[in-house]
Amino acid sequence: MSDLLQIKNLTVEFQTDDGPVEAVRNVSFNIPKGKTVGLVGESGSGKSVSSLAVMQLIPNPPGRVKNGEIIFDGENLLDHSDAKMRKVRGNRISMIFQEPMTSLNPVFTVGDQIIESLMLHKKMNKKQALDRAIELLDQVGIPDPKTRVHAYPHEMSGGQRQRVMIAMAISCEPELLIADEPTTALDVTIQKQILELIADLQKKYGMSVLFITHDLGVIADIADDVVVMYRGDIVEKGTTEQIFKQPKHPYTKGLIACRPMLEQNPARLPTVSDFMTVDGKEIDYKATPVEKTVRPITSDQPVLLEIKNINKHFPLHKSFFGKVTEWLRAVDGVSLKVHKGRTLGLVGESGCGKTTLGRTILRLIEPTNGDIFYNGTNITELNKEEMREMRKKMQIIFQDPYASLNPRMTIGMAIMEPMIIHKIGKNKQEQMDRAASLMEKVGLKPEMLNRYPHEFSGGQRQRICIARALAVEPDFIICDESVSALDVSVQAQILNLLLDLQEEMGLTYVFISHDLAVVKFFSDEVAVMNKGKVVEMSDAVSIYKSPKDPYTKKLLEAIPRGIPKTMLPSS
Amino acid sequence: MLKYAIRRILYMFPILLGITLVTFLLFNVAGGDPAVQMAGKYATEAEIEAIRKDLGTSGPLYVQFGNYIKQIVTFDFGRSWATKQEVTRMIFGEEFRTSPMLVSVSLTFPAFFITLVLAISIGLLLTFYRGGVLDKSIMVVCLGAISISSLVYILFLQYYLGYKLGLFPISGISYDWVDKWNYLALPIIIFVALSLGSNVLFFRTIFLDEVFQDYVRTARAKGLSNKVVMFRHVLRNALIPIITLVVIQIPFLITGTLLIESFFSLPGLGGLIYNAINNADFPVIKAMTFISAVLYMFFQLLSDILYAVVDPKVQLK
Amino acid sequence: MIRKSQNSLWNDAFQRLKKNKLSMVCLFIIIAYIILALGCKLGLFFPSFNETNNAISYQAPSAEHWFGTDFMGRDVMARAAHGTLTSLTVGLWGTGLAVIIGTLLGSLAGYFGKLVDEGIVWLYTTIDTIPYILLVSAFSLVLGPSLYTLCIAIGLTTWVGLCRVVRAEFIKHREKEYVQAASSIGASHARRIFTHILPNVFHIVLIQFSLGFVSTIKSEVILSFLGLGVEPGTPSWGVMINNAKQELARGVWWGLASATLLMFVLVLAFNLFNDALRDALDPKLKNKS
Repeated sequence: MSDLLQIKNLTVEFQTDDGPVEAVRNVSFNIPKGKTVGLVGESGSGKSVSSLAVMQLIPNPPGRVKNGEIIFDGENLLDHSDAKMRKVRGNRISMIFQEPMTSLNPVFTVGDQIIESLMLHKKMNKKQALDRAIELLDQVGIPDPKTRVHAYPHEMSGGQRQRVMIAMAISCEPELLIADEPTTALDVTIQKQILELIADLQKKYGMSVLFITHDLGVIADIADDVVVMYRGDIVEKGTTEQIFKQPKHPYTKGLIACRPMLEQNPARLPTVSDFMTVDGKEIDYKATPVEKTVRPITSDQPVLLEIKNINKHFPLHKSFFGKVTEWLRAVDGVSLKVHKGRTLGLVGESGCGKTTLGRTILRLIEPTNGDIFYNGTNITELNKEEMREMRKKMQIIFQDPYASLNPRMTIGMAIMEPMIIHKIGKNKQEQMDRAASLMEKVGLKPEMLNRYPHEFSGGQRQRICIARALAVEPDFIICDESVSALDVSVQAQILNLLLDLQEEMGLTYVFISHDLAVVKFFSDEVAVMNKGKVVEMSDAVSIYKSPKDPYTKKLLEAIPRGIPKTMLPSS
Repeated sequence: MLKYAIRRILYMFPILLGITLVTFLLFNVAGGDPAVQMAGKYATEAEIEAIRKDLGTSGPLYVQFGNYIKQIVTFDFGRSWATKQEVTRMIFGEEFRTSPMLVSVSLTFPAFFITLVLAISIGLLLTFYRGGVLDKSIMVVCLGAISISSLVYILFLQYYLGYKLGLFPISGISYDWVDKWNYLALPIIIFVALSLGSNVLFFRTIFLDEVFQDYVRTARAKGLSNKVVMFRHVLRNALIPIITLVVIQIPFLITGTLLIESFFSLPGLGGLIYNAINNADFPVIKAMTFISAVLYMFFQLLSDILYAVVDPKVQLK
Repeated sequence: MIRKSQNSLWNDAFQRLKKNKLSMVCLFIIIAYIILALGCKLGLFFPSFNETNNAISYQAPSAEHWFGTDFMGRDVMARAAHGTLTSLTVGLWGTGLAVIIGTLLGSLAGYFGKLVDEGIVWLYTTIDTIPYILLVSAFSLVLGPSLYTLCIAIGLTTWVGLCRVVRAEFIKHREKEYVQAASSIGASHARRIFTHILPNVFHIVLIQFSLGFVSTIKSEVILSFLGLGVEPGTPSWGVMINNAKQELARGVWWGLASATLLMFVLVLAFNLFNDALRDALDPKLKNKS
């Protein structure tokens, strides 16, 4: 089959304060007609830059294509004049972006935005274009398209906005569709629908698709060929089956191995650093995976935390006189028990109330009503001073390692602050020594204590946050999406660290995440939340093997399997 | 929408109360006893008391405050200390044709309109060629322009174009509908000259804010030309802050420009304030302070409501 | 003890600022003005700025009087130099007062929200509604014109803009995870406000101070021109420009020229420096222009 797009030796350079930096180096790959190529890599690997180069949408300055060719249907796009390139963009090649929130113009209706390309490239008049826009909206699964065509982007949900973006992109029936992380900002059930939609449309129009993502699971589901990028270089390319069955490059091997999978029960996750040194040399990794031993929860297992019928309601609508007429029931009558030394996984999609619940347990948000018993004490009745004492026992690690450290404070100060507040350690020197030993405990060098957060990577920062939480010697830690913002390879390292700490210090965790595979790997028990309520709770293995609640089933079905279709036993 | 407007109007009352309190505190409490100053060195207590009565500053503070509220409600701010005329009459004039407000508005509205058109066009142009030589040099010129005191613009242009070259009259006004532009031309030119720099910088910032939004990338990905992206997508979004800005400026346009009107002896509201400040004419200043504040409040309300109309993102609850 | 890293964000910002040659030239000019003002204050430069000599009134620039003399025979260069002192004094104290009020009220309003916020918002909306020039003139008329009245009047009226910005920043920051993290380790309100949030919005306060400084200098000139500024006899650029109103027609241009020039160079240096300062302190904005 012939290739629709050939990228040859593409190098893209960005001007920075510290001189030029090559974001993409000598990248070459092809996209065959009618096929889907998955471009996969972690943040900063250059995958988005490569796709923007195809569209010639790299902001210039500071970026520019240094050399290379992009051959589309026999012509080098880089030789095109701006006017000629405009005839390609949106017409023969179109693109969908990651953020459906900001990628649509907020002041125009979705119809206005779809007809723009139709009127420009297909020379339709407004009436024809609008009729076609309604057809397109119907095709991408927007209900009641005749009315919705006049809706503004903010009147739609995230998933619908991404459908509109797709409608816009396919409006001129392009030969190539570039999808840049189109489902990353979406919930897993919505992601499934969008992926199916793209696959359907591809079949219908015979398009080629360049699908960019950091998520190997998604790639396995959707791509025919895979290109793996690492720090601006292509490290491996091949058919999806080749890549997943016999990855050659150690980075690819590590990347595939470090993802928690629903089908497996490893005790620990391998990491990329098990396969490859920092400078890219292969390590011969032969460790045989150890099965996780399921720790049974017996009735005599002591309960550390028990929450009874917790509610948190936020006012949603107010009447003219300020009386609340409608409440958002973020947490709606939740009761849970967390056993000492065990992990309770809390899983659900965005807006299900899991984060609110986590913060309510620590009284960072005051519950509307309900009781929280910690070691027998009802902490909702504690006064400010008693609650401050309680904070020594209960800690939290947040999602975004970039936002959860004060950028103007050295990390030494960040780790010592809890000790200062709770007067732990006799003097500054002792606190400093404790901070240094905590750094070692989380796998960082104590010499780094005097540095500032921006000098660390995301994974390192999350380690610092863990050290800060441990500074007060807590028994109980809430991990609120603590690994969601990290690249998969880093995610595995942090999960392993948290497991080691639990074993060593006997910690009890509540692990909050949207990712069922991670929760299943990490937890002893799992509670599934939907619309403020816990819909199902069970031990980690049986919730996966025999889900009872329909919502849990839907959630499980939506998770990308991470195994190429051709390798699935059923096909 | 209506609910929002009503709520917003109700919110004006505490602000109105605040304005009343602040002006009262300033003029009646902190200001000392103006009657003593006015009566002169050798006045008797009875004479001073008579003046106090006249000024509405006799009696305990709550009575004075009551008087002040009465003044506001009846829109009667007493007589000017300097000219002994009724303050309301001084502000609104004998008839519409010669009213100070019309003089001020005839100067400021055209001048502001010209400034807007010029500044928006230049701002768009600079955004279009951002980072280039044109952009950089005009930026430097604008920064230089806003570094010169507005007094110097007026002084120099009046002296050079008016006095030296004799192109324009340098003071006074005609109430004739045509002839008055003869007198207003130079003040308008000066107004535009001294406000252009800061306006260009302002609009450039607004446009640049929009240019880097994700939706612009989407628009370009559709194959739209830079021109269409700029005029259709960027300008339409930038219009939201621009409209609110313009509406919020209107009260200042109505109360005129103090400096230009005083230099050109224009009998507008700005000139009125200038004279009042020079003569320490409290009743006029008090009345003008109150009226300007109310005007400002009203146009603030209008701009908020307009904002809600132009911006579909604003969901009114 | 481990030494503090040299890589704090402040230090980073300073390094970025240093790379911008033009901003360094501007900073140098501003420092020169400060030295000039301090020298005048201490009587080191132009001690005879108040010496009158009617015999030599309105002399054109000469070797003896570089910038000429004014109507009372005073040396224009000395007057203009001392005008710098007046300008910078008003700039520093007026803006300083506004920054203190604005930062404090803005922090409290943004952090605590609810009733505290509503009270403070009411206060600044009220102040904001009254036209600045009328409010300042009312202050001046009531308290009598003097340098200190001017500082207080400017301070009490110009804090609103900063207060708004600081309030908005606090609202943004109080929900951020690092502040949540501080409350989860039991940090008090004061600790959260002063050791966590304030250092993170302080660069904005600094930018606003610098911007406020420029507009205060410009205001001083206009207020002095209106007779609402300094006491009569105090050297001020505004007074010099006011005098030029009568002088220009007589061909006396040097008073106007020297006040204008001195002010122009200072304000331009400040404006250019502010641009660079903003880029250095808020690098996210930089790539935009």
